[in-house]
Amino acid sequence: MPEIKVTPLGAGQDVGRSCILVSIGGKNIMLDCGMHMGYNDDRRFPDFSYITQNGRLTEFLDCVIISHFHLDHCGALPFMSEMVGYDGPIYMTHPTKAICPILLEDFRKITVDKKGETNFFTSQMIKDCMKKVVPLNLHQTVQVDDELEIKAYYAGHVLGAAMVQIKVGSESVVYTGDYNMTPDRHLGAAWIDKCRPDILISESTYATTIRDSKRCRERDFLKKVHESIERGGKVLIPVFALGRAQELCILLETFWERMNLKAPIYFSTGLTEKANHYYKLFITWTNQKIRKTFVQRNMFEFKHIKAFDRSYADNPGPMVVFATPGMLHAGQSLQIFKKWAGNEKNMVIMPGYCVQGTIGHKILNGQRKLEMEGRSTLDVKLQVEYMSFSAHADAKGIMQLIRMAEPRNMLLVHGEAVKMEFLKGKIEQEFNCHMPANGETATVTTNPSVPVDISLNLLKREMALGGPLPDPKKPRTMHGTLIMKENLVSSEQALKELGLNEHQLRFTCRVQLQDPHSDPDTLNRIYTHLKSVLKGYTIQHLPDGTVMVESIVIKVSSSAEDTSTKVLLLSWSYQVKHFYFYNGLVLTPSLRFFKVVKGRF
Amino acid sequence: MAEMEETDFNDILDDWFIESLKTYKDLHVYQLEHPTQVIEWTSGRTVCVAGYSSSKNEILELHLPLKLFADENKGLCAERDFKVVHGGFAEGPVCCLRHVPGTRCVVTNDGLSSDLQVWTVGGDDSDVIRRTGSVKGRRSVSEGGSRIAAPLSSQLLHGARSSDVQLTQLTSGQILYTLETDSADPLSSLQFVSDTVFLAGCCNGNVYIADTRTSAAPQLSPGPAAWGGSVLWWTDASAGRVIRLSSSGQAVVSDLRDLGEAVSWAQLDVQSHRCNPDDVRVSWAPALDNCIAVSGFSGAVQIYKTSVWGTERQDVQPLFEHRGHAVSSQSDDDVFVTAHVWHPERPRTLLSAASDGSVHVWDWVDQSEL
Repeated sequence: MPEIKVTPLGAGQDVGRSCILVSIGGKNIMLDCGMHMGYNDDRRFPDFSYITQNGRLTEFLDCVIISHFHLDHCGALPFMSEMVGYDGPIYMTHPTKAICPILLEDFRKITVDKKGETNFFTSQMIKDCMKKVVPLNLHQTVQVDDELEIKAYYAGHVLGAAMVQIKVGSESVVYTGDYNMTPDRHLGAAWIDKCRPDILISESTYATTIRDSKRCRERDFLKKVHESIERGGKVLIPVFALGRAQELCILLETFWERMNLKAPIYFSTGLTEKANHYYKLFITWTNQKIRKTFVQRNMFEFKHIKAFDRSYADNPGPMVVFATPGMLHAGQSLQIFKKWAGNEKNMVIMPGYCVQGTIGHKILNGQRKLEMEGRSTLDVKLQVEYMSFSAHADAKGIMQLIRMAEPRNMLLVHGEAVKMEFLKGKIEQEFNCHMPANGETATVTTNPSVPVDISLNLLKREMALGGPLPDPKKPRTMHGTLIMKENLVSSEQALKELGLNEHQLRFTCRVQLQDPHSDPDTLNRIYTHLKSVLKGYTIQHLPDGTVMVESIVIKVSSSAEDTSTKVLLLSWSYQVKHFYFYNGLVLTPSLRFFKVVKGRF
Repeated sequence: MAEMEETDFNDILDDWFIESLKTYKDLHVYQLEHPTQVIEWTSGRTVCVAGYSSSKNEILELHLPLKLFADENKGLCAERDFKVVHGGFAEGPVCCLRHVPGTRCVVTNDGLSSDLQVWTVGGDDSDVIRRTGSVKGRRSVSEGGSRIAAPLSSQLLHGARSSDVQLTQLTSGQILYTLETDSADPLSSLQFVSDTVFLAGCCNGNVYIADTRTSAAPQLSPGPAAWGGSVLWWTDASAGRVIRLSSSGQAVVSDLRDLGEAVSWAQLDVQSHRCNPDDVRVSWAPALDNCIAVSGFSGAVQIYKTSVWGTERQDVQPLFEHRGHAVSSQSDDDVFVTAHVWHPERPRTLLSAASDGSVHVWDWVDQSEL
């Protein structure tokens, strides 16, 4: 039976990293290649031994697809392609291709330089990895090879995030990656057509969460900033250059305008160039509505937000500063942090996840005393706020997406099936649902249609037989011989091509009857009788002393001992096995037929 | 929605959110797949909600966001979402849902008959809420749903009318007590005011007080003289006080020991002509003195301070109004608040649900105390 196999790769734990293997129509695809941020050892990488025990992955994978730039989806990519070894194509959207290497390099620097790790990918490896990338556009079908095609759909969530459809022949799989179904100021909602994939793969955590609205998160951000400013404090917001900064700047600008606030807002110069680059990417990627927001903005010409100079950090009074890098691990944001940390009126707002080893990570874990270079300690007295602005789908959203795509099967990863009976039951009211554990393979059988070419002669012959034309709701059966070389041909042609002789199977059987008449008379009586009961069939009484019902031949002869004991000889060829229903009787040339005849005599 | 309308909607919503910076401490806004008419605490941190459509409905147990409870290190907790911890399927609507204290059981009624369904909420190893039994109403006639009150573990007080209230032992089904009344008034509330003394509030304003230990006749306190013709009444009792609210917005506070006398009256600022009988809720704040919450008349939840009411009926204004559901609803029909509950310990924290499936968790600021 044709089947699609899905295996989420893992190393013993559930959530934290995405890397899923799909086998479909003889093709192997890797979906995402994420790093688990909670581990320092090899457990942070996906377990590639499932694919092969040792050696490179190139011959085992037809392609790799990355859904978006978050590290738990692409963090292990350079490790996989350069240290384990993979030289095939890596597909991702244009924005993902632009942003991925920046994040990977940042991540590498922190892990190697700050934490002194050795078994990690190098800057060169990141570059070499990115050379293998083939960028994708939305809704554009890309032929990976003759049989495998992929298509990206808009996922929302972050810039460049995509849901991917993988298709081989008539079998397909859709992988959602991370997505959201509620549009906000900057991102639209994910969208997919009714593509009816055999499997839709998504995260089980979505289905068990009901998310607080984006506006409430934004409200919390504004509230915290406002409270600090009101008490004369300074607010530091470390941001990754691309992404969150834009959103938060617009938010503050609107708020400052509305509330007529006077405290200065700054962003560090490094941000501007990168931000413009980001802006251009965003503009081509995003939809009409969001484009308008940005066009009105006139990108970084804010009324209330100005470029930062490092001397401003010492100015008295309240202010807000956006500075890079995002995890306080180096550079300007760390410098400012050191100056402001000692005052409890101040605040630092971390708008995203911080990798282990960074100051950001430490303070988010409640550390109030930090060891800095030169063995000095820093007392953290300012207020630390952790805010998550990521747009994710939830229980309502996942059902919306499933109903949009109408998959034949639903597959949820990163959940514990044993504990999720209700969830499974809920989805199974409408769709089949699977929940493989990490390292476990879910197999889904499919019922693909196999397209074949048909020879013109055979087609003409079929049409000549008359009858109803085939339609999708009522397919019509026909017979032929399939030469798995080119096309579907008639049997004669097949035999000719294959150099085989045609053989015919002919069956015979004898039935005894009691009838006092002469042989020809008995035959005549049988003929008359059959003609009256088998209306609509061709029944002939031939001069050679046989009766033919369609292609079944009937002969009558008498037994030597007793002339009133007749023997009917029936013969039919193999094709006449399937016959017709007539008044509930199956008229196969078998004993049944003779039950009818006998009954009458 | 036309583009202009959408911009206007967003502006109004933004305005409300900006205003909320001063008027709320915490605010969380959620969207369920299906609206609920019930919100019931199953622990200090979990609530049950359930659908009320005419066919199959989900019962969900939700864990409140961690951020709400992280009092000391609130800033370090970014977790703002509800977690669906348990779920189950009900064959019909769920109009009343009660948690049986000290157990993992909840009891529901579909609003169509007086029978109750008993459910067991799974533990850590399963996410299922399973139907494990039923309790027959005294008179199983389909004349409107039962009210349910659960005092001690495994006992249930229930009934659709004053004439069919009974106390049933949950595990054995044994009937421990029945309320004998002359008339069969439909009930709008049923609650215990002590371990054994309960209050049955009728839709016509009558209130019966009885003790399940005795077979003595219940005390009947007739409804207050209603202004504006025939009205419906809802009742809530807490800490020795009883409040009765009418569908015309009239509110009466009495002492439990002397229901016939009114301590104070008020005409509340509600849109009485739009009251939805199934949705009206009135409740005393468990951790605040003299505060009530009122909902079901519109898309807002109102908080009133009863201590400022007098003996003369007068128009009063709410101390606070939560308009979040009305403001953030994108549906064309007017949205109605279908349920609200106070947090049992946090003084100003409430949960409210509306007809568009929204659920809000909010901690309001008492402006009069600033």
